[in-house]
Amino acid sequence: MKYKFKITGLDCPNCAAKLASIIEAKDKVSSAKINFLTEKLTVESELGEPELKALVSDTATKFDKNVKIEA
Amino acid sequence: MKKIFSFLLKDTGKLIAGLLLFAAALISELLSFDIASLILYICALLMAGHGVYISAVKGIVRRDFLDEKFLMSIASIGAMIVGEYSEGVAVMLFFLLGEIFEKKAVSRSRGKIRALLDICPDEATVIREGVEEVVDADEVAVGDIMLIRPGERVAADCRVISGSADVDTSAITGESIPRAVHPSDILESGVIVLNAALHCEAIRESSDSGAQRILDMVENASDRKSKEESFITSFAKVYTPIVVSLAILLATLPSIIGITEWSESVYRALIFLVISCPCALVISVPLAFFGGIGAAASRGILFKGGSSFAPLASARVVAFDKTGTLTEGKFVIKEIYPEGVSKETLIELASAVEYGSSHPIASALRACGGEVTPADNIEEYSGKGAVGYVGGIRIAVGNARLMEDEGARIPLSSTDKAGSRVYVSQGGEYVGAFLIKDSIKPEACEAITALRTLGIRKTVMLSGDKRTYAEAIACELSLDEFRAELLPEDKYSAIEEYKAEGKVMYVGDGINDAPALTYADVGVAMGLIGSDAAIETADAVIASDNLLRLPEAVRIARKTLMIAKSNIAFALTVKIAIMILGAFGIANMWLAVFADVGVAVLAILNSMRVLAFKGK
Repeated sequence: MKYKFKITGLDCPNCAAKLASIIEAKDKVSSAKINFLTEKLTVESELGEPELKALVSDTATKFDKNVKIEA
Repeated sequence: MKKIFSFLLKDTGKLIAGLLLFAAALISELLSFDIASLILYICALLMAGHGVYISAVKGIVRRDFLDEKFLMSIASIGAMIVGEYSEGVAVMLFFLLGEIFEKKAVSRSRGKIRALLDICPDEATVIREGVEEVVDADEVAVGDIMLIRPGERVAADCRVISGSADVDTSAITGESIPRAVHPSDILESGVIVLNAALHCEAIRESSDSGAQRILDMVENASDRKSKEESFITSFAKVYTPIVVSLAILLATLPSIIGITEWSESVYRALIFLVISCPCALVISVPLAFFGGIGAAASRGILFKGGSSFAPLASARVVAFDKTGTLTEGKFVIKEIYPEGVSKETLIELASAVEYGSSHPIASALRACGGEVTPADNIEEYSGKGAVGYVGGIRIAVGNARLMEDEGARIPLSSTDKAGSRVYVSQGGEYVGAFLIKDSIKPEACEAITALRTLGIRKTVMLSGDKRTYAEAIACELSLDEFRAELLPEDKYSAIEEYKAEGKVMYVGDGINDAPALTYADVGVAMGLIGSDAAIETADAVIASDNLLRLPEAVRIARKTLMIAKSNIAFALTVKIAIMILGAFGIANMWLAVFADVGVAVLAILNSMRVLAFKGK
């Protein structure tokens, strides 16, 4: 399933690309892309929405505490 | 207390506190309180830089640390170690200031782009069981009756059931002239109803509707990166390691040979690191492309990605499909030649056989009006026409081959007029013909002239239609070349030939254009309501069907590329110049940080220019 999240607080496109590749490397995530300008994170995963959101939020906060994942 | 603390964690808070501490440190240095000033410098540095240091450490833990934060950390700490306290702190303060500026500029352009794309309403009014109800746009189901009041945006693609109004389609098509809609017309989502309320039946969910399709296309556009964008990404990957190794060389080599003091060469290396930060490029180049995509979208031109810009900007040959692209795609009956029957009878017979058919002749006949009773046992012969029975007599409507099959002889008269001919036979006896013609789009001529002014060397038409008819249109539009009677695969090979003369743009709208759209250097599909296959394979889509958007698309593409390239050139020149100055000890760290931040902000502002694209 493909999920879309709003992601805020990223500093630059480079950081966005880095975070995307970290998320992509997680188990059960087949792809992750971040559009820096529209602040959208698109993740393809076999996980359900709540678990995936928790995983993504956790990863993002560890990456940089200012990064927030919204619905 | 908590408030003050959280303010200090924000960038502006860090900056102000850092500046105050920095000022205090400078004053105590002047008063020669050396220990106090050193402590104040360190406090100022930690105040301004703790966030940067934390990210740098996190980067090292991830083993992916060669970014601007790492560079700034090394530079500021290095400056402190070699005793340049004030410069070490200044580096960090300037970096912070630059970050604030950058964030402002990025969020401003984000806001602008978002405003351009704010075309999906959040809510819709639906009538369920006779009661008006306001629901989220996503909750509108196919078949729901929506009430759209004047001034409201349409939430989902729908068909008008009752009411007539003018609608503003500019958000979807970029066309500023309002369009009148009446019952049974289709409205795309994102359109604004202007002067009267409409009742409409939703035909698609909001997430499949026109406005959302545009948004998806623009958002996913960043997947198809331009050469310049991927250059920047791969550039940043090799650039930072190279700069860091050069800096190490610069720090060690001169002092080993004995040209400069250790502290001086380390200082020069640090300047080198500060100026090397690639942020200006990394942010501004993708921003230029996104801005170009946004500016184009607001004019009804949808780029699928940054990769579409370069071939569009450098196209030399433009090949057009004919029907639906250069022409309206709607046939009208130009002349009627009855033979032995009245005009009315001829229309009646043909209409009966073509009843409900999708042939161009059928819609042209429908436009003649009148009550039509369908013929019995209608059979369609692909590539020939249709046959049916009216009052028990066999009626055939179609081309010359069908007449041959029917044994009807076509008289040799007035065969010189351009247009397609449809013959009618009654019981094997020829009873007349229709001359049907498709009209050229009114703006076609102007669009072709505009393309020529932009330096397109050749305009050609590739048509599946009869030679005489194609020739008439090519002549009327003064196209450089035309090819007629082509099958879809012939279009493909024609494009291959044209590729020898330069980059080829292909403009088409139908399913049969899909191979040509893919094969051309850049494919442009006309009309968002056109064939899905064409939209899917094209590099850009002109939502409105208006040919004048083509030259505009070329100009937006050129402007975007120009901005992206000038940013790359500008940033690299300034950086390399200051790197050289720094290496020879001419530039100091203040200048380096100032140049770095300045270049980034200027490059971002430059990128935002593309958003201001105006039609003329």
